[in-house]
Amino acid sequence: MVKPATPKNIVFYADDDTDDLELVQEAFGRYTNDVEVVTATDGVQALSYLQSLDEYSSAPCLIILDINMPLLNGKDVLLKIKDIPPLVSVPVVLFTTSSSPLDKEFAQKYNAGFITKPLDVSQMEIITGLFIDHCSDEVKRKISKRFK
Amino acid sequence: MRMSDFEDLPLHRQLSMLYQQGIYVGKSKQEELTRLLFQLEYFYIEITYTSYRSSIYKIHYTESTSILEPYLGQIQVEYLVT
Repeated sequence: MVKPATPKNIVFYADDDTDDLELVQEAFGRYTNDVEVVTATDGVQALSYLQSLDEYSSAPCLIILDINMPLLNGKDVLLKIKDIPPLVSVPVVLFTTSSSPLDKEFAQKYNAGFITKPLDVSQMEIITGLFIDHCSDEVKRKISKRFK
Repeated sequence: MRMSDFEDLPLHRQLSMLYQQGIYVGKSKQEELTRLLFQLEYFYIEITYTSYRSSIYKIHYTESTSILEPYLGQIQVEYLVT
């Protein structure tokens, strides 16, 4: 009998910068047994994916949004997903090159994390840890179990 | 901080300060090189990567606003007026 595979946790990441998409996908590379990174390249595409999720779809365990995206920026996507019932409790992180206090305040106001993109790839492991810190305890336990 | 003081810092301190306090201006690409421009106080720091966010080719410091030209389309007015 084949044991059913445990569904992977979905990390959803929207960014129009393909270099940064690759960077984050690589950063989650060591967690590929437990985590699948689903991406979008603009705010409208991101919102369309997130709105298409129904009760039978797996909601992401974490949503990462770049702020400066075409069509709909990450802050507007954040506001809109607060109205999507299956996503209300999903943690959201604004991941941006900005270190603007305005953006930090915005993230805080809407209960989202705020992480500045690294200048050097060596910082990426720490940042991936910060992403995972935003996940629920259950997801954190599942992911970290493999790396003990 | 004066630009010359910043220039004298070791690379890791420069990057750390930029990461925490730098204001991102924009990104540009030219063939294999990717550049990120930041403002820190009244001067600008442009980081040129041969491999994006991984291998720094050079860092250019200037107080001249002419460095903004290639990035003008990306500058967000909301950060300038507040």
